[in-house]
Amino acid sequence: MTRTTPAGRVGLGIAVAALLAFTLFPVYWMVSSAFDPEADHRGADVLPSGFTLDHFRYVLDTGEFGRYLTNSAIVGLGTVVLSGLLALFAATAVARFRFRLRTQMLVMILVVQMVPLEALVIPLFLQMRDLELLNSLLGLTVVYLAFSLPFAIWILRGFVAAVPEEIEEAAYLDGCGWWRMFRSVLLPLVAPGLVATGVFAFIVAWNEFVFAFVFMQDDTMYTAAVGLHRFFGEYSTDWGAVMAGSTLITLPVLIFFVLVQRRLAGGLAAGAIR
Amino acid sequence: MAADPAKLPARATAPARRAARTRALRPWLLLAPALLVLAVLLFWPLVRVVTLSFQDYGLRELNTGATDYTGLDNYREILGDSFLWRQVLPNTVLFAGTCVVLTLVVGTLVALLLQRLGRTWRLICSSVIMTAWAMPAVTGTYVWIWIFDPLDGVVSGGLDGAGLIEPRETNWFTDRWSFYAIATLNVVHHGFPFVAITVYAALLTIPRELPEAALMDGAGAWQRFWRITVPTIRPVFLIVVILSTIWDFKVFAQVYLMPGGSGSNPDVLNLGVWSYVESFRRNDYGMGSAVAVLLTLLLLAVTVVYVKVLSRERDEL
Repeated sequence: MTRTTPAGRVGLGIAVAALLAFTLFPVYWMVSSAFDPEADHRGADVLPSGFTLDHFRYVLDTGEFGRYLTNSAIVGLGTVVLSGLLALFAATAVARFRFRLRTQMLVMILVVQMVPLEALVIPLFLQMRDLELLNSLLGLTVVYLAFSLPFAIWILRGFVAAVPEEIEEAAYLDGCGWWRMFRSVLLPLVAPGLVATGVFAFIVAWNEFVFAFVFMQDDTMYTAAVGLHRFFGEYSTDWGAVMAGSTLITLPVLIFFVLVQRRLAGGLAAGAIR
Repeated sequence: MAADPAKLPARATAPARRAARTRALRPWLLLAPALLVLAVLLFWPLVRVVTLSFQDYGLRELNTGATDYTGLDNYREILGDSFLWRQVLPNTVLFAGTCVVLTLVVGTLVALLLQRLGRTWRLICSSVIMTAWAMPAVTGTYVWIWIFDPLDGVVSGGLDGAGLIEPRETNWFTDRWSFYAIATLNVVHHGFPFVAITVYAALLTIPRELPEAALMDGAGAWQRFWRITVPTIRPVFLIVVILSTIWDFKVFAQVYLMPGGSGSNPDVLNLGVWSYVESFRRNDYGMGSAVAVLLTLLLLAVTVVYVKVLSRERDEL
């Protein structure tokens, strides 16, 4: 559009530098403190005073952080598989079939996303208590499933609708039944959408705090986000350990996010415009 | 055959009708599992939290399963408490409002910046802001607490080095305003990438001719932004605003995990944490539910506005 003047280029450079600094500083501070042998007395030293793996070793051995990470991974994967399956079915229903109440279903799925799930901690806690699903990874998985489902349906709807109906009709002409068509034609074609929603579901489950904090009272069942709380005291905190634990929690999410960033953001924008 | 023409269509349509029935049933079969999950885990709890809010539900009720309806007592107590009006509500609303505005401004500015960058730098910047988004709220909160730690944190260390403060006499977590300033920084840092990436994706959909034509007509950058960019991608802005509002109103971990945020400093409670403290600390689940309902109603108001404006938007398009 406009040609960039030299002054404009400098301005652009400053803006980029400011953006990178603001964005990356906390990440840098977290990682560098995790490796700093003198993390607790670091003050304003920009560079860590040395390099050590002691904090990680402490967190994983003494703090049983490995167990928490495993719990989180199990809950996360369970949520991904279940929400992918249920959301794909529901998305196919609303994207491919014309039936009564279809519009109402779509509006409901949209509105359900607005329910503040945090407000449901109390009833869900009582419900899970009655079902004896407190302190159970299954109980947490089921709750996260409900959280990620509306968004997953909404996004997958777009992916299913994008598959040309001619391809489906060709499968029918070849003698496929509906179920066969679903498995061998639709499923592979919406796989990218499943990846995106799967990653989203995993992140929801991996990052969630309130429910895991309320549901898991037995410390062997803690998820990573809750287990980290153990190293954090109101008055004295082992900052090296907390930062090492934080680094371990953040890394998987970071990798996933970079992998799917475009698809996720693109899907959101497309859904918004349509 | 020809003798009975009336039977012919009937016989032909019997399988067709059965096929039609399976076709009509199939979407519901497909929807059933998802609807079941949502009914049991979202709708029923939503009903339950409302009924709980009209009860005196404590440890006794929790263990015996008895119910003790007390009508509007819980609401009367909450709404009659100056604590709600002086502390909790301002903390919740002002904080959410500030966060939404800042997130939106920063996010949009970054989106415009991304648009002006070359391919390589755009890729670098968009990948880097992903790290801020990817950082879980819990770990992000710990990092910001560490950064502002009164004794050994980088900010107090730096200001001490410059001779500006006395670290032992400064604690930003005890004062309400500085507490929420740090929480705001945390939430905006975590929230702006979503806005930036979404708005940037929307900017790409604006036909190139529009701003070029405006440029020909002598419109400045400021005018082009407000007259062309904003109206064109208004639906996206709307969604981003509403989602941010909802996220920022119900913030829990970012406040709860901060020093004093878990209830020991009543000055900094917000609706989400207050509900938690009432129910799980004081075992007054009825009161906690009433606070949760209040939060939900607040968000419902926002949602209604959202759906209204969105449907008007659809009619225009």
